[in-house]
Amino acid sequence: MVIYWCEILNHFFFLNRQDLAAVLIQRWYRQYAARMEMRRRYTWNIFQSMEYADLQDQIKLYNFLGYLMDNFTPSSSERNLISHIFRENEVCRDAEWERYFSYTNIDVPDIYSGPRLTFPLDMDQAADLVEAFKNKQQLHSRYVLQLLLETWKLLRVLPNINRVSTCHSKEITICGDLHGQLEDLLLIFYKNGMPSLEKPYVFNGDYVDRGKDSMEILLILFAFLLVFPGNVYLNRGNHEDHIINLRYGFTKEVLNKYKLHGKRILKLLQKIFSWLPLVTVIDQRVLIVHGGISDTTDLALIARYVSSLRPPKKKTPSRTNVYADSERYVEMVICKNRRGSLTFPKPFDARESFQRRSLQDFSSTVARTLEEEFEVRRRQAEFSLSSFSKSHRILSSALSSDSEPESSEFTDTGNDEWKQILDLLWSDPMSHNGCIPNEVRGGGCYWGPDVTEDFLNRHSLQLIIRSHECKQDGYEFCHNRKVLTLFSASNYYEVGSNRGAFIRLGPDLVPYFVQYQATRMTRGLSFPQNVKRTEHTALKILREQLFVHKSDLLSAFQEIDKENMGLICLNDWASAIERVLHLDLPWRVLHPQLVSSTTDGKLDYHGWFRDLALKKPSSEHIEQTMLETLYRHRSTLETIFRIVDTNNSGLITFEDFRQTLKLLSAYLKMEISDEVINELVISTDTNNDGSIDIDEFMEAFRLVDKSRLKRGKSLLKLMQDNQSLPQETETPQTVYSTAPQTSQCPASQPADPPASNTTDSACSQTANPPASQTADSPGSLTEDCPASQTEDLCHISVVVPPQ
Amino acid sequence: MAPKKVEPKKPEPKKPEPKKEEAPAPAPVPETPKEPELDLKSVPLEFTADQIEEFRDAFTLFDETPTGEMKIRYAQCGDVMRALGHNPTNADVLTVLGKPKAEDMNTKYLDFEKFLPMLQHVSRTKDQGTFEDFAEGLRVFDKEGNGTVMGAELRHVLATLGEKMTEDEVDRLMAGQEDANGCINYTSFIKHILSG
Repeated sequence: MVIYWCEILNHFFFLNRQDLAAVLIQRWYRQYAARMEMRRRYTWNIFQSMEYADLQDQIKLYNFLGYLMDNFTPSSSERNLISHIFRENEVCRDAEWERYFSYTNIDVPDIYSGPRLTFPLDMDQAADLVEAFKNKQQLHSRYVLQLLLETWKLLRVLPNINRVSTCHSKEITICGDLHGQLEDLLLIFYKNGMPSLEKPYVFNGDYVDRGKDSMEILLILFAFLLVFPGNVYLNRGNHEDHIINLRYGFTKEVLNKYKLHGKRILKLLQKIFSWLPLVTVIDQRVLIVHGGISDTTDLALIARYVSSLRPPKKKTPSRTNVYADSERYVEMVICKNRRGSLTFPKPFDARESFQRRSLQDFSSTVARTLEEEFEVRRRQAEFSLSSFSKSHRILSSALSSDSEPESSEFTDTGNDEWKQILDLLWSDPMSHNGCIPNEVRGGGCYWGPDVTEDFLNRHSLQLIIRSHECKQDGYEFCHNRKVLTLFSASNYYEVGSNRGAFIRLGPDLVPYFVQYQATRMTRGLSFPQNVKRTEHTALKILREQLFVHKSDLLSAFQEIDKENMGLICLNDWASAIERVLHLDLPWRVLHPQLVSSTTDGKLDYHGWFRDLALKKPSSEHIEQTMLETLYRHRSTLETIFRIVDTNNSGLITFEDFRQTLKLLSAYLKMEISDEVINELVISTDTNNDGSIDIDEFMEAFRLVDKSRLKRGKSLLKLMQDNQSLPQETETPQTVYSTAPQTSQCPASQPADPPASNTTDSACSQTANPPASQTADSPGSLTEDCPASQTEDLCHISVVVPPQ
Repeated sequence: MAPKKVEPKKPEPKKPEPKKEEAPAPAPVPETPKEPELDLKSVPLEFTADQIEEFRDAFTLFDETPTGEMKIRYAQCGDVMRALGHNPTNADVLTVLGKPKAEDMNTKYLDFEKFLPMLQHVSRTKDQGTFEDFAEGLRVFDKEGNGTVMGAELRHVLATLGEKMTEDEVDRLMAGQEDANGCINYTSFIKHILSG
């Protein structure tokens, strides 16, 4: 009996031990999971806030250009530049355009092994096209032009609103943003089958920009559209806009892939974009649109819209809103047409008055007005759409107390249609009621659940499917499940950052979701590994941002550290960064990742900058702050260049370059002296023909990692020793890299072949060990460097400093 | 003891024994004797201003209210504490929350001011658990005493005993840890957990 009881007690005791052991393991797991979750959240925040910061830059640029439009003098020399920028191409009728786009003279050499299309296209040819692109072939420009012309002809007869039906028990597949990520489209076709009579598809815009295969995606989609015009529906996205393409990479991609005919291809695409349908409706119950709606969205109006419309007039400079279509204005007299770019300022011909002041004089005025305006926008832009942001409060309180008119600037009925389109393509949903202008994106609005409710009722709809915003899981419901965001570009910020998704919709109109992630690499990775990879990239980007703001940060620190001890406490460090960078991020939570060590809770900030960097500055001719500034604004600079390069040749003249930099200096309120400009011009005119290759110039603005630099240096030395390559020329040494005369990588290719393999593996070690505290380095996983769609931040170029 | 920052947890001297022996036979249902102690208002805050700012940042990361009201659901409280480097059991968390009902966990909210004393209280628990404790815990399941545990058994235990984990949680935990025979070498397993 005793033994029996002993056994029972023993048994209980053992169970107890097991229990306690279990609890211990479980609590440790939960801590691990919670920390992982926190990292995931702040990584997401980093990417989103960087994206919005970039959008802000774009808005500022447009506002600046718009301001110039209103205010420059006809007598200044800059006027030529401005009018040159904004001058319209000759106006032609469609028939004349068709001649311009003619492809019949283009010969296709025998050696060309890609698809040779014959029109009208059929299903097999479309499938072959997909296969060809999968095999990394490029379609010959003759066929590109032909295909695009056919597409344009078709689009001109399609309505603005696609109406689709699920009768015959057909399931309709709907895809969101693709952003040039061909892998995702291929994956969708693989999982779901290609478009066909039995398999209708709706694509919801943003096919281009950021990713590197925008052209291929367009060609595939257009091909299927031509083969199955009643079964493939394309909506226009906000990136189907030639001005946006200047900044976000599509223009560059086309010019690089089609050196001879790229210009015409771009022009034709510009037309095609403006003819894309705006909205698709399924069974008169489900609305599919790229951005969203506003409280004034009127589908009847949109269906009718094909009129000649004068762009809206600006009310006041402080409410600068430069969305107007220059092309439209000029063509309105001649023929009916669709709206081209929604984001380009009016031609100066349309302006009624201008003041007699030179651009130089404007600097101060511009500065003042812009400053005020930036202050307003900065306050409002602190509002981050991430639901984890604390600044929601700031915006909502700012808005409620402000008596700023919301959309009253658009009361003019003539403006209606134009605003309608902007709203459809740019808006985002928000969680509280109402409808306010979307200041973060600079177009469209934020609309609330009440607006959704009202809209659905008015039009007898039950669901809005939209895209436009990246979602971690590829899709997200909001507004009481009446609005669905669908995003089909997986790994958008970084490999592992998010999944993509597509939907199947049957007659019951209940969405069935399929999620995916398109990279081979991520399939093997567990969730924590994904988080770590993504975090790694986010932090790298962040460190770079900190580095390029060094001068401003230094001043901010020194303001606090009045005794000049070189030390600053963490809280002050965080507030200073907040002030300088204007990124709404949890800096104090991030600090262990960004700061390697503190003594007594204080940070040695000079040492910290040394740890952060990258390359030690040492240019005699060009001043540090100047370079930093140019680097920071390189996107803007590149955009201005491409705007100036009106014929899309990829080259600009000396004179234009000079003028552009002067424009930039006015915009930045920073003096860029003639010496500096000359210096930059000389160092980049590699052809010595008085013209500057934009890509090559931008190539000079790459931040190069110290450790990789050493590697690159030794590699180059090796190559030089072996092959007696040219030694470095004496070009001015910039912080970031020298002009790429000595580098063998032409701007258009991702990385220099001999060096890239080794540098790829160098990728996997963090360049700044002290600053990074993530326990794991990615180990054997290489960063997706050449293929990354983030703007060259992952890119390694083998550039070597003199000596 | 000053609470930790967001860094991989460092082992800390502790005394697990008393707590373990207290627990009565079946399941850990402790806490009732502790209740009178838990007057959160009387918990003095020993955090520095810098630390509080850091906690505030972390708290904000988990704030999912549409208007950024700096509030988290009761259900998130444990996560935030853990994200900040502490290691409470679910029971501990429920205690500091004042033993809410199950339906409250997702409907009631907690603001930062109320959260701080809870965090302070939790941070005081000496019983944070070290590498050794953790190893000790796993050793219990090491039938052959050879440094490995059977993955399947561990899964079963974690899902049925103690503060049960869901299947998803177990999967996440064990991802990539089992070898071809379904065994887990627990030293590397522990390192994996501690370093995350």
